[in-house]
Amino acid sequence: MRGSRNRPYTSPHWVTDAWSAVTDDRVVRVVVDAAGGDNAPGEIVKGALDACGPQLNVILVGDEPRVRALLPEGVQHVSVVHAPDVIGYHEEPATAARARTGSSIVVGLKMVHNGEAEAFVSAGNTGAVVAASVLYVRRIPGVKRPAICTIMPAMPAPVAFLDVGANAEVRAEFLRQFAIMGQAFAREVMGIPEPTIGLLSIGEEPTKGTPDVIEAHQLIAGDHRISHFYGNIEGRDIMNRLVDVIVTDGFTGNVGLKTIEGSARAILGALKATVMVSAKTKLGGLLLQKDLQVLKDALNPEEFGGALLVGMNAPVVIAHGNSKARGIAQAVRMGRRGAVSDLLPTIARELGTQTAAV
Amino acid sequence: MTREEVFEHVKGILVETLSVDEEKVTMDARFQEDLETDSLDLVELVMTMEEKFGIKITDEEAADIKTVGDAVDFVMTRVDA
Repeated sequence: MRGSRNRPYTSPHWVTDAWSAVTDDRVVRVVVDAAGGDNAPGEIVKGALDACGPQLNVILVGDEPRVRALLPEGVQHVSVVHAPDVIGYHEEPATAARARTGSSIVVGLKMVHNGEAEAFVSAGNTGAVVAASVLYVRRIPGVKRPAICTIMPAMPAPVAFLDVGANAEVRAEFLRQFAIMGQAFAREVMGIPEPTIGLLSIGEEPTKGTPDVIEAHQLIAGDHRISHFYGNIEGRDIMNRLVDVIVTDGFTGNVGLKTIEGSARAILGALKATVMVSAKTKLGGLLLQKDLQVLKDALNPEEFGGALLVGMNAPVVIAHGNSKARGIAQAVRMGRRGAVSDLLPTIARELGTQTAAV
Repeated sequence: MTREEVFEHVKGILVETLSVDEEKVTMDARFQEDLETDSLDLVELVMTMEEKFGIKITDEEAADIKTVGDAVDFVMTRVDA
């Protein structure tokens, strides 16, 4: 893991640099939903332009005339596919995914399914992206439920956290599968060779938690596919990076993620206000400016771009609804990383042989 | 196609696509209560059935399919028609 000298935390770039530095010559086509998100299409197109290159071709799917108007003349490595419809934030995901065949999400995911692209990125309705991915890209055989796996800013370095919203309710078996998919994500996408897995609960003892969490603890502890199971961890351990991968259900994960994002923003805001109190503190702040910027980056979810919907036949990246260009560019790079890494084959190998392996 | 053949196809979809345990799939099995499928699973099942049997299932018709037997019977009425 790369870190700066003497810093108590690591810049997120040790993860994201690996996505940006293209070391193979594969050309990966990433479909980007140009209509999804609060800042569509402007910031989406800007981010896609930042990320594209000879080995990363971007296909923007959305209102074609509007998207084309944002592209510079003679632009390379970017193409546009028309999708007349958009799935809104308040629509019922499964129904919308089935019925709205002209929407940017469905058109884009069908392109991935048909082999016209290798990965998909959207900052649109998360539920609809999950539902449409299940319906059109399909799960890897053996995967009971896909999970949204995010990279969470933590100290001293980021952790993988899943599920942060695909499944509000889970069974113990799903949590066991999340542990296996999270382990593959940490290895193949984040580059952590021997990740430690923790199960989020309300106490360290294996007997603490809901019946499903208690059963999941036993299943994970007894599963030889999981190399390093730490055991249960508690909410306070998430940011302290006791483990590399945190496993939980989608309801708890989503609440946890949003709580931490909100807290980080509040603390950084308070820090900024403290620096501005007097001439003395301002001088101190000036001296610390560069280091504080790294801390801000380390806590900024935008640096990681998005979360990966693990368990699908292709990388599907779900970006924050309020993503700006930087977040979208990182999400697009994550999509490429998902496609060239061994993530999907590893999940297929480990979960596809489930009956034989347990 | 006989009722048994349609059942085998539906069972295949449930096991392969939705990872449902094979032994749980009987004609009487209820999707939500016995097979523990959720709303997204049911949409996936309906779309896969449409593809496999070359039929169209409306949302209203899909809402009436509660058991594996209901799904088999629905396909029988369409395939024969």
